Amino acid sequence: MAKTLRFRFSRGQELKYLSHLEILRVFERALRRSGLPVEYSQGFNPRMKIVFGLPISTGLTSDAEYADIVLEKDIDLSTFVETLNESMPLGLKIHEAVELKNKNNIMNEIKGARYNITMRASLTYGEMEDMVSSFLSKEELTVMKKTKKGMSPVNIRPMIYSMNVIRKDTGRDVNSSGHEDGNIIELDALLSAGAQDNLRADLLMEAFMEYTGLKADILSINRSALYTIRSNEWKTPFEVANG
Amino acid sequence: MRIELNDKILLDVKKPAKYTGNEWNMVRKNPEDVAVRFAFCFPDDYEIGMSHLGMKILYHILNKRDDTYCERAFAPWIDMEDKLRENNIPLYTLETYTPLCEFDIVGFTLQYEMSYSNILNMLDLGKIPVLAKERKEGMPFVIAGGPCTVNPEPLADFFDFFVIGEGEEITNEIIDAYKEWKKAGEKREKFLERVALIEGVYVPSFYDVEYNDDGTIKSITPNRENVPGKVKRRIINNLDTVDFPDEIIVPFVGTVHDRIMLELFRGCIRGCRFCQAGFIYRPVRERSYDNLLDLAKSAVEKTGYEEISLVSLSTSDYSQLPELCNALIEYTEGQKVSLALPSLRLDNFSLGLMDKVSKVRKSGLTFAPEAGTQRLRDVINKGITEEDLLNSVRMAVEGGWNNVKLYFMMGLPTETMEDIDGIADLGIKLIHACRDLPHGKTLNITLSTSCFVPKPFTPFQWEPMDEIDNLMQKQYHLKDRIKKGSRRITYNYHEAKLSMLEAVFARGDRRTGKVLYTAWKKGCKFDGWDEYFEFDKWMEAFEECGIDPKFYANRKRAFTEILPWDHINIGVSKRFLKNECEKAYMGETTENCTANCSFCGVQGYKAGICTRTKRSV
Repeated sequence: MAKTLRFRFSRGQELKYLSHLEILRVFERALRRSGLPVEYSQGFNPRMKIVFGLPISTGLTSDAEYADIVLEKDIDLSTFVETLNESMPLGLKIHEAVELKNKNNIMNEIKGARYNITMRASLTYGEMEDMVSSFLSKEELTVMKKTKKGMSPVNIRPMIYSMNVIRKDTGRDVNSSGHEDGNIIELDALLSAGAQDNLRADLLMEAFMEYTGLKADILSINRSALYTIRSNEWKTPFEVANG
Repeated sequence: MRIELNDKILLDVKKPAKYTGNEWNMVRKNPEDVAVRFAFCFPDDYEIGMSHLGMKILYHILNKRDDTYCERAFAPWIDMEDKLRENNIPLYTLETYTPLCEFDIVGFTLQYEMSYSNILNMLDLGKIPVLAKERKEGMPFVIAGGPCTVNPEPLADFFDFFVIGEGEEITNEIIDAYKEWKKAGEKREKFLERVALIEGVYVPSFYDVEYNDDGTIKSITPNRENVPGKVKRRIINNLDTVDFPDEIIVPFVGTVHDRIMLELFRGCIRGCRFCQAGFIYRPVRERSYDNLLDLAKSAVEKTGYEEISLVSLSTSDYSQLPELCNALIEYTEGQKVSLALPSLRLDNFSLGLMDKVSKVRKSGLTFAPEAGTQRLRDVINKGITEEDLLNSVRMAVEGGWNNVKLYFMMGLPTETMEDIDGIADLGIKLIHACRDLPHGKTLNITLSTSCFVPKPFTPFQWEPMDEIDNLMQKQYHLKDRIKKGSRRITYNYHEAKLSMLEAVFARGDRRTGKVLYTAWKKGCKFDGWDEYFEFDKWMEAFEECGIDPKFYANRKRAFTEILPWDHINIGVSKRFLKNECEKAYMGETTENCTANCSFCGVQGYKAGICTRTKRSV
């Protein structure tokens, strides 16, 4: 009996420079090495039945990537995770799998993505928070975005659900005078994601710096969660796998 | 020292995964646990280098040793080179991000003359003095292997030593010698003395070259005792006795040959007179059917690759091809792995075979008649007739293939305009001959011509290369004739200027090394890539060095002349090559090695086909 699994995987520093297409190929080859009974499409050019939630841009790490895969026969979930991990290169790891009990395509499910953006800037937490709220108070934030028709102006404000400075409890606020390299500041952002209205975190930061005049070095961007929506609430892809 | 890279560098270059390693099956060792650190360098882009079988073989052979760690480095693409130089980051290996200058041995593979400038550039980027004589105690030994080492002279100034021939055994001998030398605590030069005793090693600084007033070579002589007068090429007598890699590195970035390469045999029985590979890899030695089948299976399991390709100079000449293909087809179908069969001669058997393996789409078929008339094909000993070709193409078109590629060479010895016309006429004849076939009306032909470059150790090693102007005229003439003859033929041709440069370095002597150095200083690199080839800079370099490229490219040598590579012995005798050259001028063909032994000289190795074919009188 065929069975569809949904699994979550992470991508670490080692493989963060791979493109989405390169990641797809890594999975196909790892699956072939693993010997797991993946189902193939029919026809002249049989393809493995695996679908990824949201492409991951080159340069990002992630704790929360999701994919759906069809297996020819029933396999214990933990066996699936362990077996596939043995064939995955360092830098890609499967964390958990659940059985998918509906036919909803993961690609259509994804509506939101949460990012953790680490930067170096000569600001205090407070100054950064002020900058964020003034940025978010704008009704329109127009940036040039790559669309199907080439570069065109897009208002990204509706695609930003939240943006917060993460105050690390170090017992003191970072010093605005800082040392000359600036302070490490982290931002948490929840952005629209998916087939429509996808806002990339690097584009958000470009717009943020352009509108606020902030000068910062982006050190890293990590995707920390992917969400879908059920009755106006954010749900993880695992939370909607049942019904 | 481990190199640190950051997003600012890597997110600003194309395909950053070429520079970060961590591929599946990459060998991981602690450098502190090994006695010898070896950097295997490929002087071209990652996508080319990772397609190279020889590197995979030697990476595997070296890393099988517990005492050695072999790592990889490639020529960084221009964008990455700029970043490295801007940030003063030395060229590093992908395994441990170690600068090249920290290795014990830095080994390059010489696949193509037009990658020579990249070698100098990589050494420089790796913080290693480009000139061998400037390397001091404690610096790496820079060595080279691969087909172009049969004439190592243009690179004599840059390498500490060369390894002539196949590397599986000799590489181990070199590593052993290195360990002994290190243990003995000797000076740098003593290591060179040690390796010079290994058959197949050529230490250029141990030989002196003298020149005549006319610029030709007067003598090549060893300048110390115990150094062989002639360096003999190494071969592996029985391929089944040496390791072939199954745990191949699986790149993340798509490469040119991104698949399992299964090497059927080395050498070629054919003896086409223009083809260097046909002479320098003799004699034909096959890997056994059982070994190949096992290797195919374990490679699929260990790599997860979706395609296997059979590799050799002429797949059809493998003695057990039908059995092997049947077994491979059965296995690959079950695994959903596809099978590629390049270099097949077209006949009923191979067509049936291709039908079986290419269920997807029947795209293109390639034929290499190499010359436009029967006369010239006899001169080059290309045993293919017009009738063969007509039949093959008709068969292919009947079978549903409607894109046919034809490869030819221009500037072959004895060529006339009649032979050039013959190229166009052959293409036109094929179009006409297929018209009556069901798919014949859709047949398209792509016709490509390259410029013939005479190479060492071929019967044409004494021949002049055709002049650039002539070649360009012939190209225009052919273009015109094809245009008038048929709209269904597309014509492509190679840059004659690049071929001329290739001709200089293929048959160059030590003096051409100065030109290479000067051109590199002027910024020449990636010469094999159209977008970076700067002919004018090369010509300036010749000018400044007072060297006439025509002396090397376009001059006819006398049989008696001492050639720059005369102290290298690849096994094929000069007498045989001379005889083949004379036969070429008479339009006489020579039988292939299976049909009859022509005593080319390699029978001395007592290996492969030489132990089976008897000379019939």
